[in-house]
Amino acid sequence: MIEINNLTKDYGDGKGIFNLSFDVKQGEVFGFLGPNGAGKTTTIRHLMGFIHPDSGSCSINNLDCGTCSAEIQKNLGYVPGEIAFFDNMTGTQFIHFIASYRGVKDWNRVESLIKRFELDTEGKLKKMSRGMKQKMGIVCGFIHDPDVLILDEPTSGLDPLMQNVFIELILEEKSKGKTILMSSHIFEEVEKTADRVGIIKKGRLVAVDSVSNLKASRRKKYIITLENEIAATDFAGEFSEDKSQSNNVVTVTIKQNIKKFIEVLNRYPVTNIDVAEQSLEDVFLHYYGGNNND
Amino acid sequence: MINKTLFFQEIKRSYKLLLIFIAIMVMYITMIISMFDPSLGKTLEEFAKAMPGLMSMFGMETTGSTLLEFISNYLYGFVMLIFPLAFVIIMANKLIAFHVDKGSMTYLLASPNTRTKVVFTQMVVLLTMMIVLLLGSIVIELISAQAMFPDSLDISKFMKINLGMFALMIAVSGFCFFISCISNETKLSLTLGAGIPTLFYLIKMLANMGGKLENMKYATIFSLFDTDKIIAGDGDVWFMNVILLMIGIVFYSSAFYFFKRRDLPL
Repeated sequence: MIEINNLTKDYGDGKGIFNLSFDVKQGEVFGFLGPNGAGKTTTIRHLMGFIHPDSGSCSINNLDCGTCSAEIQKNLGYVPGEIAFFDNMTGTQFIHFIASYRGVKDWNRVESLIKRFELDTEGKLKKMSRGMKQKMGIVCGFIHDPDVLILDEPTSGLDPLMQNVFIELILEEKSKGKTILMSSHIFEEVEKTADRVGIIKKGRLVAVDSVSNLKASRRKKYIITLENEIAATDFAGEFSEDKSQSNNVVTVTIKQNIKKFIEVLNRYPVTNIDVAEQSLEDVFLHYYGGNNND
Repeated sequence: MINKTLFFQEIKRSYKLLLIFIAIMVMYITMIISMFDPSLGKTLEEFAKAMPGLMSMFGMETTGSTLLEFISNYLYGFVMLIFPLAFVIIMANKLIAFHVDKGSMTYLLASPNTRTKVVFTQMVVLLTMMIVLLLGSIVIELISAQAMFPDSLDISKFMKINLGMFALMIAVSGFCFFISCISNETKLSLTLGAGIPTLFYLIKMLANMGGKLENMKYATIFSLFDTDKIIAGDGDVWFMNVILLMIGIVFYSSAFYFFKRRDLPL
C-alpha cells in the first residue's frame, strides 16, 4: 500500500534520511516513531510529493509519490505537523473552502466530524488556540473519507479528552480497512492504535516490530519513595538488577513479575509510587537486549 | 484547467487591493488630464527649460501640444507604469511565494490538484486582476478625456500606446510571477520581484536624461515600450511588442517548469 524503498535525502551535516525502507500494508495502522529531527516529517514530505528524493523511491497504491501526487491525493488524507491555514478566514469558511476545493459532496461527514471534535468554527483561524487549530487540521484531513491517511504528530496540542476522541476515530477508520501512517515521538501515543511500529533515529530506520511484541517484552520503571534512607537501602536490596537509589528514592525496573513486586512493596513503608515515562530508546533497547548502546 | 474554488477565493482575497489601486488611478488620471491646457503648454515648456534634467528624467521632456502627447508624457511615463507595476509585484508575491512561506500551500497541494493546475489558476488570477486594473485605467482615461476635452484625443494611437503597455506588463508580471514561484520566502520574492523592475525603471530615468547616459537605454526592459515611437508611427513598435510578449511567455513558462520540479519547504 505505502512502500518506501531506499529513500535518501541528504541535507548535509548528517541531517536528512538515509536508505529508508519500510512498508505499510493495506488496512494497517503504522506508528512512525522518532525523536524530534529524526526525519519523520522529511519522510512524510516525500510521501506527499512536496520534495523529491536524492535516490530511492516511495509509492502509494503503486503510484510514484513524486510524479503522481495529484492522483494519489484523491484518496489520501493528510494532517500536517505544522498547520498553516489561509489568513483571515473563519473556521467555517476554511472548511467550506477545502471541501469545495477538493470537490467533497458529503456534508454529513463534515458536520459529524465538527461535532465529534467539539470544534468551534465561528472564530477567525488566526485567533484560534493551538489545540483548536490542531482539531481544524484533523477535520480537514478526514473530510473526504480517504482510504489512506498520513498523520504527522496528529495529537500534539490536544487535551487528553480530545486525544481519546482522536484514538476512537482512528480505531473506527481502522475497522473500515483504512491504511494509516501516523508519526509521533511518544510510544504511548500510538500503542493503542498501531499494529506495527517503526522507529527512526538520525534519518535511519532502527527497528520495525509489531506493537504486541513490543508490549510483551516491555519493562516498566517504577520510582518508589520510602519513609527513610535505611528502609530505601533495604528495599533496594530486594532487587537484584536494574535498580538505582538516591536518598530515600529507589528506581526499579520490573518486567513481568508484578505480583511479586506488589508483595515486596507491601512489606516496606512506601510513601509514593510513580511510573517513569519511558523514552523510545528505553522501549526498543530493552527489546533488543538492553546492551545496544549505540 | 483552473480550479474555480481557488480562483474565486484568491479574487476575494485581493479585490480590496485592486479597488485601492483603481481609486489611486482615478485620482491621478483625472488630476493629470484636467491639467491639460493647450495654452498652458507654454508655461510647462518654460518650466521644462528651467529644470530640463528633472522633467526629462520622468520622460516628460516634450510637454506635448496635443492631448495624446500630453497623456503619453505625463501618464505613461510614470503613473501608468509605476502603479500597475507595484500592483503586479504585490499580487505575484501573494499568489505563490506567500503560500509557500506561510505553509498554506500545503493545503493547495494536498489535494487532487496538480502543481501545474495550482500555478495555472494563480497565473490566471494575476492576469485577470492586472487586466482589470489596466482596462479600468484606460476606461477612466477615455471618460476623463472625453468629458474634459471632447473629441481631442487620437483614439487609434492612444490604443496603440496601451497595447504596448499591455505587452510591457505581461513581460514584467511574468518576471515577478517567476520569482514568486522559485522563492521559499516572501522576503526573497519581494526583494527580487520589486528590486529588479525598480532598477530597470531607474536605469530608464537615467537614460532619459540623454547625453552619454542615453546608451543605458539598452540595459532596461522599459525601452521596449517607447511612446514617442508609437506616436511617430515607427515600424519597430510591433517588433518591440512581440519581444515583450516573448519575454513574458518565457518567464511564465519557466515559472511552471521550475515550480513543478522543485522541492517545497512545506
